[in-house]
Amino acid sequence: MNPAIETPAPTSKATAQFFRYSLAFGSVAAATALGFLAYRWDLEESVLMFFVLAVALTSWYGGLWPAIVAFTVGLLTFDYFFTRPYYSLLPGREDVAYSPIFALISGLLIWFGTVRRRVERELQESRDQLERRVVERTAELQRANEQLQDEVAERRRVEEILRERASLLDLTHDTVFVRDMNNTITYWNRGAGELYGWTNEEAVGQVSHHLMRTIFPEPLNEINAELLRTDRWEGELIHAKRDGTRLVVASRWSLQRNDYGNPIAILETNNNITERKQAEEALRRSRDELEVKVKERTAQLSKINAELQLVNKELEAFAYSVSHDLRAPVRHISGFTELLQKHTESVLDDKSRHHISMILDSANRMGNLVDDLLAFSRIGRAQTQTTTIHLDKLIKSVVAEVAPDTEGREIVWRIGNLPICYGDPAMLRLMFGNLVSNAVKFTRTRDKAEIEISSVNDTLDEVVVFVKDNGVGFDMKYKDKLFGVFQRLHSQEAFEGTGIGLATVQRIVHRHGGRVWAEGSLSNGATFYVALPKPRELEQ
Amino acid sequence: MNDLKRILLVEDDPKDVELTLTGLAEYNLANEVVIVGDGEEALDYLYRRGKYQTRHNGNPAVMLLDLKLPKLNGFEVLQQVRSDENLKMIPIVVLTSSNEERDLVRSYKLGVNAYVTKPVDFHEFVNAVKELGVFWAVINEPPPGSVKKR
Repeated sequence: MNPAIETPAPTSKATAQFFRYSLAFGSVAAATALGFLAYRWDLEESVLMFFVLAVALTSWYGGLWPAIVAFTVGLLTFDYFFTRPYYSLLPGREDVAYSPIFALISGLLIWFGTVRRRVERELQESRDQLERRVVERTAELQRANEQLQDEVAERRRVEEILRERASLLDLTHDTVFVRDMNNTITYWNRGAGELYGWTNEEAVGQVSHHLMRTIFPEPLNEINAELLRTDRWEGELIHAKRDGTRLVVASRWSLQRNDYGNPIAILETNNNITERKQAEEALRRSRDELEVKVKERTAQLSKINAELQLVNKELEAFAYSVSHDLRAPVRHISGFTELLQKHTESVLDDKSRHHISMILDSANRMGNLVDDLLAFSRIGRAQTQTTTIHLDKLIKSVVAEVAPDTEGREIVWRIGNLPICYGDPAMLRLMFGNLVSNAVKFTRTRDKAEIEISSVNDTLDEVVVFVKDNGVGFDMKYKDKLFGVFQRLHSQEAFEGTGIGLATVQRIVHRHGGRVWAEGSLSNGATFYVALPKPRELEQ
Repeated sequence: MNDLKRILLVEDDPKDVELTLTGLAEYNLANEVVIVGDGEEALDYLYRRGKYQTRHNGNPAVMLLDLKLPKLNGFEVLQQVRSDENLKMIPIVVLTSSNEERDLVRSYKLGVNAYVTKPVDFHEFVNAVKELGVFWAVINEPPPGSVKKR
């Protein structure tokens, strides 16, 4: 009998109620019948036991109230049929003896029955509760399972999308990889594989900084701090390839955050700038080398310069010494020879007098050579003082200076327009003095000398002045020899001279940064050109 | 040695001395010349030291001074003379072989009265010396304390 199953149906409950009370009456009736049988076989002592069994039966299967009914009906039946006076409900002496025993036993049985039922009911209830829980948990598990399956499906979908995107990233030549917040590589594109040499399978799961032996430009914690603050970082890293080769990369990091704003991954894009870096390095190195070379060269030059200065000083000392010491003996030769000439004039024959005059001539020539050489060397040593020079005035005074040498000669001077130029007045005066006295000297054989001093249409950056004569001229094949020191194209007898005049002219022109050249032909005169640079301020 | 003479010639080269005296002789000034061979001797003469201790008091009317000299050179003599209160008024003519500009400039800066380059040509040289002697020893009025024309 299972009340839990019967309770939900009210009809079956009524049936059960009927059955339980029927059991009460039936078991009492059965006990009565068995009582009569026992009575017949003189076993009247065991009759009460049948009624006790009836109550026990009813109590076990029928419940409390049917058991009480069975007890009451059983007591009455027993009193009526099996105790004296028989067939009367009046209580006799036997009733007093049996009734309490029957009531006590029946009471105990009913109580047991009740306890059993309660325990049974509680047991049933707890079992029911357990079952409900199992059902609930099963339902929960079912739901969780469904959710999980949904999630798995979602994950699959996302993975599919990621794979699609990743395949797009694989198309780029840039190096792209993703690492989680523990720097474990979770994605590695084809570009990364090509650059570093590790395949996707090899790289994913590795700690990126260990794999590539990254050298950071600043402490990693500072980089990470910046990354977390600004969500990005840019800088140059040194990485190692699979084969150990070192690379310099321009690295860009971007931080990926989830829906809650928590950082979950870092996307790192690297560009290989090793070649650029090497080029820069090479450039820097060659620049350094160049600097070293420049320094070396400068040192060499300043050494040479110092040496030159020393040589120059020596030359100066030499010239100074010459100026003092070389002129004295010449002067003495000249002086004493002249005294000799004076005192012996009346005594000596013509030949001896001629010899004395030759000595004097040589002494004078020696003196002139020394003076000219000293003047020439002074040009190289002297400081030039540049100033504006009115050439017309300068030429006029130079012409006036040579006047004593032109006495008794017919000279036609043609002085044209002369520009203003810029230079050292003393030097330019010496230079034009030399050119003009040359012109005077080399026209000596002409009956009528013509000397023209003028300027060529001056160009933008230089002034060109010429001195032209109708003198003996020169052969153009010797034009390069004209300006050399001690170079002469005429004999001393024909035209005296030291061979220093034109060398001095050239030296002065060169010190002014100008040019000098000559045109002429034998017996047809000569023209000397001097070109002097214009200073910039004079062009305006 | 104790004679007072108008011209002090400071010249180390005896040949130049002879030529100079030749020039001065033409104006009869050769006897008016005291000749010293180096800078130190020149100062000895002016300060009346050493062998000139006993000479009469008085400065020369002119000093003809060569620049290249043994011991003390012409510039040093010049400097000393110009820095001495008793000597600085003595007229000094530099008579030298050199026509170097720096010598010229340095001499004038030290207060020389004239600068003459000895010409190579004998006539010019004699003329120059003669004129110098005449001008400084005869025409020019020397400062007080100088030996005067007798």
